[in-house]
Amino acid sequence: MKILLVEDDTALAEGLCASLKDAGVLVELAGDGRTADFLVSTERYDAVVLDLGLPDGNGAQWLSGWRERDIDLPVLILTARERWSDKAAGFSAGADDYVTKPFETAEVLFRLRALVRRAHGHAHPVISVGDLTLDTHAGQVSRSGMPVSLTAQEFRLVSHLIQATPRVVSRTELSEHVYDGDQEPDSNVIDVQVSRLRRKLGNHTIETLRGQGYRITAGEDSR
Amino acid sequence: MLAKLRRWPISVRMLVSALVLVLLVLPLAGTLLAWNFREAVNASFNDRLDSLLNVLIAGIEYQPGSEPPLHNPQLGDPRFDRVYSGWYWQIQLGDDRVLTSRSLWDQRLSEARATNRRSREVTGPRGQTLRVLEQRVQLGSFSDPINVAVAADLSEVREEVSRFQALLTVSLATLGGLLLVMFGLQIRWGLAPLRRIERSLREVESGQRSALDTDLPEELAGMARTMNLVLERDQVLIERGRATAGNLAHALKTPLAVLHTQVETLPEAQRSSFQKELHRLNDAVRHHLARASTAGPPAFGPGLEVVDALAPVIQGLTMLAKRRGIRFEYRMGCLSPTRFEQQDLQELVGNLLENALNWAKQSATLDVVQGPDSLTIEVNDDGPGMSDEDCQRALERGGRLDEARSGSGLGLSIVKDLVQLYGGQLSLGRSDLGGLKVIAQFPTRAP
Repeated sequence: MKILLVEDDTALAEGLCASLKDAGVLVELAGDGRTADFLVSTERYDAVVLDLGLPDGNGAQWLSGWRERDIDLPVLILTARERWSDKAAGFSAGADDYVTKPFETAEVLFRLRALVRRAHGHAHPVISVGDLTLDTHAGQVSRSGMPVSLTAQEFRLVSHLIQATPRVVSRTELSEHVYDGDQEPDSNVIDVQVSRLRRKLGNHTIETLRGQGYRITAGEDSR
Repeated sequence: MLAKLRRWPISVRMLVSALVLVLLVLPLAGTLLAWNFREAVNASFNDRLDSLLNVLIAGIEYQPGSEPPLHNPQLGDPRFDRVYSGWYWQIQLGDDRVLTSRSLWDQRLSEARATNRRSREVTGPRGQTLRVLEQRVQLGSFSDPINVAVAADLSEVREEVSRFQALLTVSLATLGGLLLVMFGLQIRWGLAPLRRIERSLREVESGQRSALDTDLPEELAGMARTMNLVLERDQVLIERGRATAGNLAHALKTPLAVLHTQVETLPEAQRSSFQKELHRLNDAVRHHLARASTAGPPAFGPGLEVVDALAPVIQGLTMLAKRRGIRFEYRMGCLSPTRFEQQDLQELVGNLLENALNWAKQSATLDVVQGPDSLTIEVNDDGPGMSDEDCQRALERGGRLDEARSGSGLGLSIVKDLVQLYGGQLSLGRSDLGGLKVIAQFPTRAP
């Protein structure tokens, strides 16, 4: 999962960034609305965490601008203002959920995971494909009920593939959602990682479709 | 009684004082006029008698040797010749010789035999009250003094006086009536600006206009302008309070959030005590900022359209519920405008529902029902709910709801404050959905 964190307070941004990274989330930072505006139109993110009080205008204004341009990625609002008149403004600008400051990282993470999951069309927090199970709340992948130990990057890769099932996920999409912008991988790195995952999850779980990308085939594997 | 008097309307006061004035002054003036007139009429009557007596005395012809002295005085008034007309004269010589006017016929006037001219009142031949003016004169050749008297009917004077009085009474009564009518008109016209300002105030109160009409006489225009300033200032103060609270929230909460994220990286042992203090700090900030932003029931303005006011909140919460996979249903019947400040109502319902959505597993509901004299807001969820004891404790005076229901439960505490401020009643219980049921009920009669 890769998100954009738009927050002007450096201390808060860095703290939250570190906690989210610990939880295996890729985070890119934007310190103001203008930067965020540029990033959401050029990069791919699974969600945006948007602070409403930005130095260059209200976050809600930037958000409604994005919605007008049909940028429909999930947006979680961070707000210090708890009045419902402020919150309602956030929602009418197109926010999907909100967290009020101060917050627990766990809550931000919980809301983010729920938003991303729903954006992929899954209502339930636990997604199963064949004998593979992804618990989006716990951040855990299991195979036949047994938890599989994965690195952060491996988890990002497999959870993106599971959430996208039965769609085929292109290499570009994977590199955009799974890897940090500044360490963009060549296709080899992805191939290496996929084969390592096959070892952990079972040989036929991830299918490579030449020229198209990857998809989870765990269901067919059992046949 | 005194207190009641103090509350009398100005128009009534003025009318009463005018009435008192008219009722006192006019009768007094009437009495004085009548008295003066009677005096004047009396004086002129006496003067007339006086001059008649003079003519009578002067007409006594003195012819030495002729007894009695010839007399046929020409007083020039035919009434002296008409029998019992009330106008008489009488000249008496000695004891047995009497000369009288024809009008006296066979009657005689009684005598006082005073030397000086004097008047007295006697009863005449026909029972009339007569005023008699008589004098004893001594004519040279006569041994006896001659007693000369003139009498006239007093009823003439009385009639004249009473005619005058009747006329006076009618005139004064008419005058009094006219004065009262004039006073009434004067009060109406004079107090018209006051009535206008009152009407204008009522319109401000019901929200038909935002400021008082200042097109008024000088004395009131100043007052109306000051009132407008106060009204305006009231609104400005509320808005400024809210803005300050909002800014303060922003200024305090970002550092608080930083502390929170940093505390999370501490070792377990230290973390919990720091987190507890941070929660306390945050609760205090939220609680007091929420109070500072509360406006309370508005004194002026039209009633609030509840459905319109809640629309943005409901819209946001519907979206939120959808994102969180919770089935959220709301039912709002036909609601009449309510004396609620918009943001207060949004805060109340927003906090209740936010709470419900935070705890709900699958569904939450909102019902807003208009009773005959109350507005009821009911929120249900299928979350864990609260035990009866916790409900009880939460509702007690000073009981903090966040202790009973930690985390975002502070919302209920804000709700409690709001409900209290609006004179409503809050009750907590078990919902049919399985979780918590919160009912806030408000009287809808103007507070």
